[in-house]
Amino acid sequence: MSAVAAARVGILVFPGTNSEDETKRACEAVGLQTELVHWRTPVEDVRRYDALVLPGGFAYEDRVRGGAIAAHDPLVGVVREAAAAGKPVLGICNGAQVLLEAGLVPGLDAASGPQAGFARNAPGGRFVSRRVQLKLVAPPQRCVFTAHLKPGSLMPAWASHGEGRLAASQHVLERIVAGDHVVFTYADERGDATEAAVPNGSALAAAGLTNVAGNVLAVMPHPERDAWTFMHRDGAERAGARGDRAAMLAPSGGIALFAGLAAALS
Amino acid sequence: MTVAVEVALTIPDNEARTALTTLRRLGVDLGALERADLWLFEVDAGRETELLETVRSIETIFNPNKHALRVRDTAPGPGEAWLDEPGGPGRLAGPPFVVAGRPLPGVARVDRYVAWRLRDRHGSPAAGKVVDRALETLLLNPAFQRAIR
Repeated sequence: MSAVAAARVGILVFPGTNSEDETKRACEAVGLQTELVHWRTPVEDVRRYDALVLPGGFAYEDRVRGGAIAAHDPLVGVVREAAAAGKPVLGICNGAQVLLEAGLVPGLDAASGPQAGFARNAPGGRFVSRRVQLKLVAPPQRCVFTAHLKPGSLMPAWASHGEGRLAASQHVLERIVAGDHVVFTYADERGDATEAAVPNGSALAAAGLTNVAGNVLAVMPHPERDAWTFMHRDGAERAGARGDRAAMLAPSGGIALFAGLAAALS
Repeated sequence: MTVAVEVALTIPDNEARTALTTLRRLGVDLGALERADLWLFEVDAGRETELLETVRSIETIFNPNKHALRVRDTAPGPGEAWLDEPGGPGRLAGPPFVVAGRPLPGVARVDRYVAWRLRDRHGSPAAGKVVDRALETLLLNPAFQRAIR
């Protein structure tokens, strides 16, 4: 059995999580043994996973704030342990909100509370649902999920949120920049960081941030929703697969993030 | 003059209940936790009644099937914290201020908050240090929210 096949990934499911199935499929598509982990699973069982993923949705109905209640769930205590032990931890959309509310990202000075947050989209405070491009702006080796990518790589994903605007004090933002915590920014199809490419007014045009050690990634858009060729709305990959069922059903695009997880576990 | 209007649920508030349960589990000693939407209107003198009648008729603010509306003090009371997002997009554009297509008569400024009211085990307003702890532990994300006490 290869190291990747032996690795076990746990996908945490809180009441209100809604993207666990497609996230599980994306992990399995890159060869990872993946299981859904119900929020009432004993914490000692959760400790056995080699990596943890917090998928999108509305954990605890976004009560108080998106991710705020889940950040205090006993399962997130295990996430803290996993992060401290260097295990890969990925949060997508609501999962990313949980990681920021828990203080795990950016995780400056081993914070126990939030230093940043994903606040209501600006301008207008409206929910957005649109295809975006994530541009790798940190050195690939800065984060375990991107170490296999080329500098400046683009990855498609779907922004689908009402609260995805990175917000923090100026001091924290400066430290985020200085520490290369911004792994992905929003970009247009050519990779240019235009204002129009940012769907939510996010500070630093940030779409994904990592922690100090680079083993925890909080990414706001959903790569798993643009991870098979048939999902791509446009682009050469889909055009080239037209008429070829197997090619249309093949993983591509956003699957690269999950391939990074598999690479990190190999 | 400033008119403060508080709109609170009369049906069970699941959000407040979840917050209370979480805070207790994290060691914050509370007897009760209440939440309300708070609107502070800067309104021309003499037009307060007209404004309140308008607000009562806008169902996106006040639904009489599940809300209670009251005019209240314009500053937080003991055991209270008012939260807003100073740099956020929640501020209404105006004047003139329009909500759900309805102009708010005589209004020159609108401020909106979520008001949390914390009580101890005897039903009295929670002590300031307990309110502080609840804010630090759960209710406030200081990265983008502000608490007014």
